[in-house]
Amino acid sequence: MGTIAMILRRSPYGDINAAEAVRHAMGGVADELSIDLILVDSGVLLAKKGQDDSGTGYTNLESALKDSIDMGVEVYADKLSVREQDMETADIVDGVKIVNGAEIAELIKEAKTTMIF
Amino acid sequence: MLVIVKNSPGTSDGKRGVKLARDMAADLCFVQNGVYFGQRERLEGFCGSAYILDEDVRLRGIRGEDIEKGIKTIDYDGLVDLMANEDKVIGIF
Amino acid sequence: MTKTFTLFLSTSPYSYENTLTTIKIAESVLNKGHVVNLIASGDGVYCFLKGQKAKGIPNAEERFSELIQKGLRVYL
Repeated sequence: MGTIAMILRRSPYGDINAAEAVRHAMGGVADELSIDLILVDSGVLLAKKGQDDSGTGYTNLESALKDSIDMGVEVYADKLSVREQDMETADIVDGVKIVNGAEIAELIKEAKTTMIF
Repeated sequence: MLVIVKNSPGTSDGKRGVKLARDMAADLCFVQNGVYFGQRERLEGFCGSAYILDEDVRLRGIRGEDIEKGIKTIDYDGLVDLMANEDKVIGIF
Repeated sequence: MTKTFTLFLSTSPYSYENTLTTIKIAESVLNKGHVVNLIASGDGVYCFLKGQKAKGIPNAEERFSELIQKGLRVYL
């Protein structure tokens, strides 16, 4: 079965998109689908280290992202977006691959289905 | 006057809130995705008092040292005190 | 001096962070002994539906019910 490319364009917590992208990515790999989670624009902020959910009642999306990587989701972050958000490689969760626009284009081209969050 | 901004620097809503505060010489408080305005050099030349909600900063993994020095970190009680003491509260942008 | 805060909530309970921001502000206002009115409009009225089962995100029904017990006044 082909790969599903999930593209996240929004930063975490302000709206539900980041949480939903991770949830569906986990659901996909749990059903043995191949999932690429591609973080672009402010979506790269999902991969920022040090998120502290105490007192909020929210699921910690840094932990959820790490879990999804452990489960087999391939996570990519757009290099230009990372730079635009003033993030450095050291700020990013381990296991997230930093890729350029051409590599992202290739991932989306190769995927059978694309979902945008 | 206090303008509250919840949208990020990359959005027209966020920019509008900050511009309005500049034009009215109002104070600013950043919540939700607005806290990204508090990172260094994103609020250059703002003359009023600026505040940022600690819980929303920590939730997003933003480190204290990445927040512009002049911006005061507050909790919800601090925000409510600010709102109670201002003659007008505008937002949330 | 007691002040009256009026909050306007127009978004659905689980799509945006507005629910949490509203809950937290209302909670603090009540703890300080002020008065707080909450006007729910548009999709904001869904925050007050019974039978919500949300997990991993603040449950709007539970949290607003607690605040109503503490004195939050809600108008749909």
